[in-house]
Amino acid sequence: MEKIAEQKIIEDLLPQKFGKQGVIWVISLLAMCALGAYAYFRQLYYGLEVTNLRDYVSWGIYISNFVFFVAISLVGSLITAVLRLSDVHWSTPLTRIAEIIAVSAIAFAGLIIIVDMGRPDRFYNLFTHGRLQSPIVWDVIVITTYLLISLLLLYFPLLPDLKIMIRYKDRNGKYLQKLYEFLGSFWKDKPEQFKITDKAINILSITIIPVAFAIHTVTSWLFATTYRPGWDSTNFGAYFISGAFLVGSGAVLIAMYVFRTHYKLEKYITNDHFDKMGKIVVLLALIYLYFNVNEFLVPAFKMKKSEEHHLMGLFTGEFAIAFWFAISTAMLIPILILIFKKGRTPKAAFVAGILVVVGSWFKRYLIVTPTLLHPFLPMSDVPENYKHYFPSWEEWAIAGGSLAGALLVITFFARIFPIIPIHETITETNEHEKV
Amino acid sequence: MKPLLKQTNMKKYKLFQLLFIVIIGLVPNLLMAQDAVEKPSLKLSLKYFNDNNKTHHLEVQAKSKIDGKFQMIANVPVQFYIGSDPDKSNLIGKGITNPKGIATVIIPATAKEQWQSTANQNFVVVSAPTKVYEETKGELAITKAKIQIDTAEGRIINAKLMSLVDTTWTPIAGVDVIVGVKRLGGILNVNETPTYSTDTSGAVMAEFKRDSLPGDNKGNLTLTASVIDNDVYGNLSVEMVVPWGKYYPFDSKFDERTLFARRGHSPLWLEILAYAIIVGVWAIIIHLLLQLRKTIKLGVE
Amino acid sequence: MKTNENSRRDFLATTLIAGAALAGCGTKSPFTPEEVAEIIPSGEMVKLLSVDGEIIEVDKAFLKPVPEMPSITNEEARIGIQGKKFAMVIDLSRCKNLKKCQSACNHMHHVHPGQNWIKLNAMQEADKTAPYWQPTTCMHCDEPPCVKVCPVDATFKRKDGIVLIDSDRCVGCRFCMAACPYSTRVFNWEEPKLEKEIADQPYNCETSVPQKKGTVGKCDFCPDMVRQGNLPHCVSACPNGVFFFGDILEDSVTNGAETFRFSDLIKDKAGYRLMEDLGTKPSVYYLPPVNRNFPFEKEASEGKA
Repeated sequence: MEKIAEQKIIEDLLPQKFGKQGVIWVISLLAMCALGAYAYFRQLYYGLEVTNLRDYVSWGIYISNFVFFVAISLVGSLITAVLRLSDVHWSTPLTRIAEIIAVSAIAFAGLIIIVDMGRPDRFYNLFTHGRLQSPIVWDVIVITTYLLISLLLLYFPLLPDLKIMIRYKDRNGKYLQKLYEFLGSFWKDKPEQFKITDKAINILSITIIPVAFAIHTVTSWLFATTYRPGWDSTNFGAYFISGAFLVGSGAVLIAMYVFRTHYKLEKYITNDHFDKMGKIVVLLALIYLYFNVNEFLVPAFKMKKSEEHHLMGLFTGEFAIAFWFAISTAMLIPILILIFKKGRTPKAAFVAGILVVVGSWFKRYLIVTPTLLHPFLPMSDVPENYKHYFPSWEEWAIAGGSLAGALLVITFFARIFPIIPIHETITETNEHEKV
Repeated sequence: MKPLLKQTNMKKYKLFQLLFIVIIGLVPNLLMAQDAVEKPSLKLSLKYFNDNNKTHHLEVQAKSKIDGKFQMIANVPVQFYIGSDPDKSNLIGKGITNPKGIATVIIPATAKEQWQSTANQNFVVVSAPTKVYEETKGELAITKAKIQIDTAEGRIINAKLMSLVDTTWTPIAGVDVIVGVKRLGGILNVNETPTYSTDTSGAVMAEFKRDSLPGDNKGNLTLTASVIDNDVYGNLSVEMVVPWGKYYPFDSKFDERTLFARRGHSPLWLEILAYAIIVGVWAIIIHLLLQLRKTIKLGVE
Repeated sequence: MKTNENSRRDFLATTLIAGAALAGCGTKSPFTPEEVAEIIPSGEMVKLLSVDGEIIEVDKAFLKPVPEMPSITNEEARIGIQGKKFAMVIDLSRCKNLKKCQSACNHMHHVHPGQNWIKLNAMQEADKTAPYWQPTTCMHCDEPPCVKVCPVDATFKRKDGIVLIDSDRCVGCRFCMAACPYSTRVFNWEEPKLEKEIADQPYNCETSVPQKKGTVGKCDFCPDMVRQGNLPHCVSACPNGVFFFGDILEDSVTNGAETFRFSDLIKDKAGYRLMEDLGTKPSVYYLPPVNRNFPFEKEASEGKA
């Protein structure tokens, strides 16, 4: 009986070839990436002139996209580490989803920051001339560290699954088989090996939490270490981290739904999972809302002259529509949906997840841009187009391309590796039945 | 040794030389082509400078009226002559005007004979015809003069102005003399009075009232007395170093460890904090990689 | 270091005479061959005979047909001019928004069309307060927020107080632009539009020419001019004498025509610095727009400009 169940689990969870839908999905993502690559080629050739960034708004959607990527990557630490350390077992099927989102997002965060550079050819200067005083150098260090830790956290739990997959030689095909063997042929399911990896995963789970906090806190410091209204805030680190956990969890909700319906994983990603993740998203949205109230109400109460234009621009001015759209889609509406039991069904939770992610993307845009349009001194002696900002098609294409690229990494990962940990699911089913 | 400052711009000279060559090359053709067109007029104002009674130099500024306003004209080739005849034998130097329209030349030792022959000296400057401007002439007549500086008890500065009448140095009365301390880009008055008029003995007297004015690292100040743009005598200046200043040590933060210092000069708290975190986290990562190697070995055995 | 300092001091002094003497000497030296034979090289200086028959010393570099500034190495440019600490005073009561400072600066630094290193702000603090013109340069802060955040030492604070940019080092992250509260920095969004001769010049942080695509530029206090003993372009271009420049260690500032003791000027006219509360400690001081030479006429002055 037990044996059959195990076989069933393996068959259900082994990676599957792309169906028709999958092929269309991959092709459209590749097309977006290609368009982004073309736009980036133009940017390399003509310079950042092709963007609509100018001297006042010198950071635009590249940077807001970067912040978005860093934010979303934090979910790896939340689902894997925080829940594991709190001895919560229901989240096991979600760990790998969260980890691959983290890895691909952090990798693209690194790429998009290079895209934003005026002289990407001089990237090596960061290593040959790096100044420890600069928050950018801190960011480079923590992002590299976080990427490595996330990769390890993805790899260690994958080892037993690799052994299972290597068994299905015919199904894998020549190249995948080689890849699996390269990555995991040494894994023999020995108890000593399990002992080492279990311990390593525990150490990683503890380590990843402060490092994850560091990446997003340092990212928030890129803004908070300046004097600009809207950025000059001691609240910024906590504000960014709470927002990051929210957007990451929203992304997990989306991924859960997509994988569940596409790969028919209803038995593994259950309604109960949506219910529990939904509750977590509500909690995180409330926390983020709390930090938003702090971030906006306190300066609005004082209405310092330097803050006034910035705040009024957000509340009632030129950014009001985007601002209230972001606040309601990223927080208010998802809370209203997910607070009800009916709202935590897969479909409704999926919609809430999309709202969270889209709203959060705009939220990042609103953190970066409006501040730059409200400098301390008046905007003088510049051409008229320096005083406004709306991204050019190249910027949209590159930002879109990077998002597509991140999705592509996740898609290919799910094609090559089991998106739900097979070994852990089996172990937990066994333990469950024993009890 | 140190004359008044001149507005020159070195970094441009290479370019001007190039342009000059190009312009010279084009001149014959252009002259023919533009014969019919009336060229705008160029104005050359010539000035004489006597620096510390040692170096004598001439400065010409090329101006032209463009849109009703005088503007400085750069890249005009000019030739300086001593005497009133722009003859080849009287040539003392050549130059090209800089972006401020200025070209200068030292009166060289070759002109000694002519220079010493008379107390009243004429100079001529001639600009070569360019694409835009015709050949233009500027003239100057000066009477040779010199200014001397000395100090007396109680921080008094005495300056004396004399001109050459035939072969004798004679005091000049009623000429404005500036007495001050030489500073970057200008002359700082030694008291409330910026200019003094010479008395019948050609002398002016100024009391130094700048208490504890910063001097160099020995507390020295450079005093200067000068006549500027005088119609008869031109520009004269003389300098003298006196220990009337005060030395203030320069307290620079340049070598301190600060957040705005260069690489390798970050504050110690930051270095300790950052390296402690980096070492701590990477020690864990390396430990984990070693653990991974251990599992690989376990499997391969 | 000591000898270096002395030689530089000497150099500055001799630059004055030689610069004045030979700056415009065109393609040919005014000295005929027999005179050149009399030139005895002594280090950087050469002795030659003056027209009075006296021996005078002139910097050797300036006896070349075309005078050249000795090139400053990157290391020297990062330390600055020894024994100096530069400051600027901007007298708001004299400013009429003629923008001569701006056009001279743009012209000499080949700033990209449309961009400006010097900006003229029409200021009015409140409805009932008086409007005035406020030119802003780089403030060359003593605790520069832009330098704090630069990841690669591309922008740096020198010993002489000047904040410069090394366009050969800059990676174009634009963090400094975000950090600067005075919005003084501009970015070369595209390949700078320069004449070939300018574009081919060897780059030097002190001249800031030629600007490079994908890097940040800003007011540099014209250290190349100051090394020659000249004033920055904006100072000498202003017909109303708004800008005063000087060495704070000499306690004096000048606009070319007038020279003041810096401490007296600031004390007598109640000088101040912009955004003192941010703790950036600017090197640029402002004199309040009181007893103005000109009325504030926005339309009239804009019409002229």
